[in-house]
Amino acid sequence: MCEHDQCTSHAGQKPDMRPVYPKAGSYPHFAKLVDTQKAQVDRKVFHDQEIYEAELRQIFGRAWLFLAHESQIPEPGDFLRTYMGEDNVIVVRQRDRSVNAFLNSCPHRGNRVCMVDAGKKARGFICNYHGWSFGIDGGLRGTDGKVYDSDATFDKGSIGLTPVAQIASYKGLIFATFDPDAPSLEEFLGDFTWYLDVMLDNDEGGTEFIGGAIKSVIDCNWKFPAENFVGDILHAFWTHQSGAQAILGGGVDLGARYDELAFQASVYGHGIETNLDKVGNTRTLGYPELVDYVFSRQKAMADRLGEVRARMVGAVSSATVFPNFSFLPGQATFRVWHPRGPDKIELVVWTLVNKNMPEHIKELYRKGVMMTFSPAGVFEMDDGENWEYSTRVNQGFVTRQQPLHYALGVGTRDDSRDLPGIIHKGSLNDANQRLFYTRWAEFMRFDNWHDLQNGETAPPQRMAQRQAAE
Amino acid sequence: MMADALDMVRICDLSEIGEEILKVSLEGHKPLGVTCLDGIYYVFPDTCPHANESLSKGWIEDGRVVCPVHFAEFELGNGAVHNGPSGCARLTFYECEARIDGLYARLTS
Amino acid sequence: MLDIARPFSDFTRYADADTERQVTRFLYAEARTLDREAYEEWLDRFIDKDIRYWMPDMETRRRDDRRGAFCYGEAAYFDDSWDELHVRVKRYNEPSAWADNPATRHAHLISNIEVFETDDPQLVAVCSAFTNVRNRNETDQDIIHGRREDVLRRHGDGFKLSRRRIFIVQNVLLSKNLNTFL
Repeated sequence: MCEHDQCTSHAGQKPDMRPVYPKAGSYPHFAKLVDTQKAQVDRKVFHDQEIYEAELRQIFGRAWLFLAHESQIPEPGDFLRTYMGEDNVIVVRQRDRSVNAFLNSCPHRGNRVCMVDAGKKARGFICNYHGWSFGIDGGLRGTDGKVYDSDATFDKGSIGLTPVAQIASYKGLIFATFDPDAPSLEEFLGDFTWYLDVMLDNDEGGTEFIGGAIKSVIDCNWKFPAENFVGDILHAFWTHQSGAQAILGGGVDLGARYDELAFQASVYGHGIETNLDKVGNTRTLGYPELVDYVFSRQKAMADRLGEVRARMVGAVSSATVFPNFSFLPGQATFRVWHPRGPDKIELVVWTLVNKNMPEHIKELYRKGVMMTFSPAGVFEMDDGENWEYSTRVNQGFVTRQQPLHYALGVGTRDDSRDLPGIIHKGSLNDANQRLFYTRWAEFMRFDNWHDLQNGETAPPQRMAQRQAAE
Repeated sequence: MMADALDMVRICDLSEIGEEILKVSLEGHKPLGVTCLDGIYYVFPDTCPHANESLSKGWIEDGRVVCPVHFAEFELGNGAVHNGPSGCARLTFYECEARIDGLYARLTS
Repeated sequence: MLDIARPFSDFTRYADADTERQVTRFLYAEARTLDREAYEEWLDRFIDKDIRYWMPDMETRRRDDRRGAFCYGEAAYFDDSWDELHVRVKRYNEPSAWADNPATRHAHLISNIEVFETDDPQLVAVCSAFTNVRNRNETDQDIIHGRREDVLRRHGDGFKLSRRRIFIVQNVLLSKNLNTFL
């Protein structure tokens, strides 16, 4: 392959097989496609291939991304296969019970070394191509046959599956990043952990995922479902009228105290829109027994989380952890929208329950999620086509020059409530979606984490500190 | 015939042998793997018959030596292969004997 | 026999020709009813009140993985009683069921039908395969293939579906939704 004279001196040297973690760049011209002042998002962000490639580098190459729930891989050698952006990764419990994750790509010719969705007690992963074998710690154990024995440059110890740069858990949820310079997971999540705890910490026993996952493909840009869950309860009334009618015999109801209680909170682009109606979402699963169960736990949850968050556990609410990990409190569905180009996603859906829940309650959550938020579910069924056509219309050159309206609730900032994050009044609001795209623009613009963690989407006290410093 | 003619060779102290695979290198011989399960001692080549990998980096599981590389399993005693790569030969086990001053084995070639 | 979690054991006794013809007609009539999106009628005419209707997610697992491709009690597309099927039907009946308004064009194709006797003279075991084609709007098309294991119960002169296990061949559902019954 290399016949130049200067290369011959490399003969006999070991190849450099160290992992490579790409550096971020800066794309100010893409960042400008989000106009905070005018509350507008340029449709190119849903269509353009170059922007998509920049997203893979700037966002999916750097952000902490959700991988798995600890309960899915309880024992050493237990593993599952998932994605970080378009990068396929193996998540595997180590012998010391820690968890690590590796790119699912053999360093020889690049083939996947793990083809299955998940498994128990794996001894390692062997590439089907040439039999290169890797331990669950990612290290190369050996190859097929004896041909490398006589190759002095072959150094098993320096070759392995590329590990993620950092991996960490927050109350059962495992995240990882490809960026060695990324701040800690807790710093990335910021005050949003206060809201995650509504689901992850409303019981002392912790949480688990019910086994299996439902995966499906939607021909939409990944940001449409992510922004939908970050702050769009508005669509529920129209999109999901049929599902609500089927299950509740009436429309979606935000509760009598909506004006007083409902709000949106956003931290670093993560966001939740919520009412404080206690059981609005749980009711839509269709099992009165579940509603009774959530009511029966109000006091215990209030003792643990305080009155406000206890009211959020089953409330009409939705949330996204930037960039693409979303959940519905009350409905117990957790999901990732894996990007597959500017016009396609792969959706993976799980059901989260408390370990301490009685088995029949867990079973009702499993069936409730299936009945509502899975491909044959009476709510999710009507979401996909909206997102597909919101994406597809932008193939029209003239169409994609047209403005989109993201201005609902401009001027509804509410600093009076003692809640973490940037608070806006009312859950019927585009505020969280604007902040989601503001965060997107920050990732496009900034090549460093200092700027990323101190921009417009940072929590208010952080912004105050910055302004004081300036 | 040759095997019978060979003398027993001292491998190691009994106290060195546990349920892991102990690697023993003796001058004039290829490296050996040694282990003990339920009071019975086993001596075998440390090198996996498939791809020259060291079996002492593997482990014992359900009465079998497990190669750490392609996870072939060799039954302790008779060396029969399970889940091995295509063409993987059985593992040789040497006749061995625990004496007061250590473990001895007849190292056939 | 009616345990939804239990696979079909090896049935060896084929049903007689009359029964087979009756069952075949039942399945084709059911498919045609679903093609018409006549979901309420489908429930009334074809579905037994004790129905268990299950379609698990199909995982990719190693051959030596004892869990296998699916596991009852884990994630599923359907795991329904009659009442739960009826909730889904109620959604179809709403004009605002946007994924079905405008209407979806359906073709439920049924083949590979085998009908077996069981130890209970009221029940027959039926294996079949299906191709489900849904087409919407201009070019939106979804095709799913799979197999079914049905238990039909005799009702008067005909049958009703008591149990259905549906195994699709897709790991990732290559569609945005599943707006029909299979």
